[in-house]
Amino acid sequence: MLPLLSITTFLPIAAGLILMLRPGQSTKTVHTLSIGVTGITFLLSLVIWAGGVVPGAFSQVEELAWIPAVGASYRLGVDGLSLPLVLLTTLLFFLSAIYSARLKDRPSTFVVLMLMLETASLGTFMALDALLFYVFFEVSLVGMYFMIAGWGHEDRQRAALMFFLYTLLGSLPLLLAILGLYLSSGTFDMRVWIDTQPLTGFAAMLALIAMLFTFAIKIPSFPVHTWLPAAHVQAPTVGSVILAGVMLKFGTYGLVRFALQMTPEAFTKAGVVILAFGVFSAIYGAFAALAQTDLKKMVAYTSVNHMGYIVMGVAIAALTIDPKIRAVALDGATLQMISHGLVTGALFFLVGMLQDRAHSREMGDFGGLLNGVPWLGWAFILSAFASLGLPGLAHFPAEFQIFLATLQAQPWAIIAILAIVVTAGLYLRSIAQVFLGEPNKKWAAMPDLDRGEMWVIVPLVLLIILIGVAPATLIDMIHTTMASLSF
Amino acid sequence: MGRDLSFLIPEMTLAVAAMLMLIAEMLRLPRVALALGLVGLAAATLLTLPVLYADTTVFGGTYRIDMLSGWAKLVLLPGTALALLLVRAELAGQDREGSVYSLLCLVTLGALMLAGGGDMMLLVLGVVLTGLGSFALVTFPRDDAATEAGMKYLVFGSVTGAVMIYGLSFWFGGAGSTLYSELALLDGRPLIATAGLLAVIVGLGYKAALVPFHFWAPDAYDGAPISIAAYLSVITKIAAIFAFAQILRDLPVNTGWPLVIALVAAATMTLGYVTALVQSNVVRLLAYSSVAQAGYFLLAIVALGVSPLALPAIIVFGAAYVAMNLGAFGVVIIAGRSIDDFKGMGRRRPLVGLAMVVFLLSLTGIPPLFGFVGKVYLFGAAIEAGFLWLAVIAILNSVLALAVYLRIIMPMYGAEAQSATATPIPLSLLVALVIAVFVTLVMGLFAGILPS
Repeated sequence: MLPLLSITTFLPIAAGLILMLRPGQSTKTVHTLSIGVTGITFLLSLVIWAGGVVPGAFSQVEELAWIPAVGASYRLGVDGLSLPLVLLTTLLFFLSAIYSARLKDRPSTFVVLMLMLETASLGTFMALDALLFYVFFEVSLVGMYFMIAGWGHEDRQRAALMFFLYTLLGSLPLLLAILGLYLSSGTFDMRVWIDTQPLTGFAAMLALIAMLFTFAIKIPSFPVHTWLPAAHVQAPTVGSVILAGVMLKFGTYGLVRFALQMTPEAFTKAGVVILAFGVFSAIYGAFAALAQTDLKKMVAYTSVNHMGYIVMGVAIAALTIDPKIRAVALDGATLQMISHGLVTGALFFLVGMLQDRAHSREMGDFGGLLNGVPWLGWAFILSAFASLGLPGLAHFPAEFQIFLATLQAQPWAIIAILAIVVTAGLYLRSIAQVFLGEPNKKWAAMPDLDRGEMWVIVPLVLLIILIGVAPATLIDMIHTTMASLSF
Repeated sequence: MGRDLSFLIPEMTLAVAAMLMLIAEMLRLPRVALALGLVGLAAATLLTLPVLYADTTVFGGTYRIDMLSGWAKLVLLPGTALALLLVRAELAGQDREGSVYSLLCLVTLGALMLAGGGDMMLLVLGVVLTGLGSFALVTFPRDDAATEAGMKYLVFGSVTGAVMIYGLSFWFGGAGSTLYSELALLDGRPLIATAGLLAVIVGLGYKAALVPFHFWAPDAYDGAPISIAAYLSVITKIAAIFAFAQILRDLPVNTGWPLVIALVAAATMTLGYVTALVQSNVVRLLAYSSVAQAGYFLLAIVALGVSPLALPAIIVFGAAYVAMNLGAFGVVIIAGRSIDDFKGMGRRRPLVGLAMVVFLLSLTGIPPLFGFVGKVYLFGAAIEAGFLWLAVIAILNSVLALAVYLRIIMPMYGAEAQSATATPIPLSLLVALVIAVFVTLVMGLFAGILPS
């Protein structure tokens, strides 16, 4: 049988290597290759989806010896937590490749970085070996650093530097936790760690604190979210989409896969604290977003809000003893990762398209755009409504499940629902300022979405609606794994 | 006698090659000297392979043929060959070129004695042999800067060497033997053990450029030709670390030496990177960075005898360090000593820029590069030995390291390309860089072939 997972993971970087070894290709060739490769990768991930997941274990596992001396192997596999994220990753990279086809500035290097990021992201979600996971996890930092530093906006050097230093500081404690788990079990196999949970007591708590530090920065959760606005505002549009849509999910994925599954006892002990951080992040992110006048910064801060709900869901799952509520909370949290990827991806694309046209992101500079650019406007309005949790759109089923579980397990934490009101307010305000009201003469000649941009936005909008009205297929897959979690 | 000598064939091969190189230099044939050196180093490397897994001692226990000394040869000999290629690229056509080649091989011979020695007398011999050759190498350019650097290096070396010999006499007195293997007799005599230990830290700490005996390193590296700085920052440093390992694994742990070494390690890493952060001369920056890297090696030293990861950690990180640090200095030969020389280099010479990024990220410890694998071993060893706090300090320093190395990477891609035309790169340098990049990139993925 074909090693489908490995092919999917390494196809992008292989194409990237070919581009590197044969420099001097025309811009068109480079972009055709990039769209083709990410498209094939997306199709391959659909084939993996057809392969399905099994309850209580990883499916489609691929294994190969790597450093036998320390028990590290090359191991890939998927379950109901990672497979949806894999699908999200391949889709967003495919759309990013289409969107970046207009890029003229050193397109070859940019595409190589993007393809490298895709391999790193897929590897992070599929790795079943902790050392391998860490390798992919860190490689993504390098790729994102160069993407921000090379193609970002005005203040890109400083933002890229801060991003790299901050997240490297964040990820190194994870290495300590991984080494701790390794030294107590003699292997880097994540399945063994999940099944046997080698650390107990104080050591487990230390490892949990290290992991929480790492994943909180990545998520990002209050109070270690401060790198996010700078990195997002300065990053190129594709960088923002990948960062928010895919790379933030490393944090929540790790929170479930590592923190919850490998040190569940310690996680339960610290559960209330983690829940409190989640609640506070959700509310804080909403209010911080309310204070922004820069559209991109506003969307960036709503990420802090939405990711806060995921942290809440995971914490609720650890705190409750009722397996049904636990499954509901984790289903909701996982679905929220996907919804956030789609919705925030769409919003960052749209803000980027607006910025391409107007070279501004200030809400106050716009007004009455809806008549001139109806497609862009309506897509933004729909995505914004999805982001504020309107029923029938992607975030609703996810947030509904999280709040349902919260209400049953830790009713006090429901105050986070306050954030939804704030989010509604800020999105309605931004829609009113940018798309409604008195038309600004300056933008009378602004063109609407062209064909390439339609190809990017329309699939996202359709999926946002589809997940909103018929989330069952996706939730079934997630539920297969979440209902069988044992700890 | 015959048996003992047969285990020393690699060392003897190198010694013979060095002699022949001196003859070639007398005949004014530097290219022949270079060829002899490369062939001699290659032959010595290959001849090491049959005895790699032997675990024995020769000449009455004074010289060890074990995993550490075997892998020391596999790391140091190819490393010296790379350094020869760098020297060729930088000093080709200059007077006394051949002398440099033969001196490099002689210093490496001393380095092998440090790494394989099982006796204090050999330790002293190794320190002197590596020292004498190094002083001459640093002063090669014969200008004021080089003379000042060489003088500092010499004075520092003489004083620390004398202190070391004085301290070793305590161990000799206490144990009644100069063999390391008799150091176990010092168990329960902490004063004698500590006196000797401090002296060894002074002597070998100078050689490995550990804080606070590192002051000579930036001056010596900056005064010397860049290729010589590259060589000194790698070969003599690793030899000193291997010597540390040979000595300390026989010193009883309850004399408290691991804590002393751990404190030195913390100070070395931190001070090295903090100082590197403010340098504007890339050679000095890399000098301070190599001071800090020496501190990372000590993470494995503190775990000797406790963690089975300790010896592999030293070997794996040593091999990685040879490739990435020589490579980084090699790029400096192309670009120039000032940080301003790197402005726009990533766009002017994309492949060389990419190589530099690989070397610097590997020095930081970013996966999947070779340096990362080494650091995983190092951190694992330190944690297993109970030095979690030291691993945390090492990790914080890795962030500092990134800040240091990004100071070179950022101007490479940040500024617009300058109009200066790129001169062609000498073939020998190109070969050395390709090998260094290949090892740094690929060995991380194939770390399975390394010792366990």
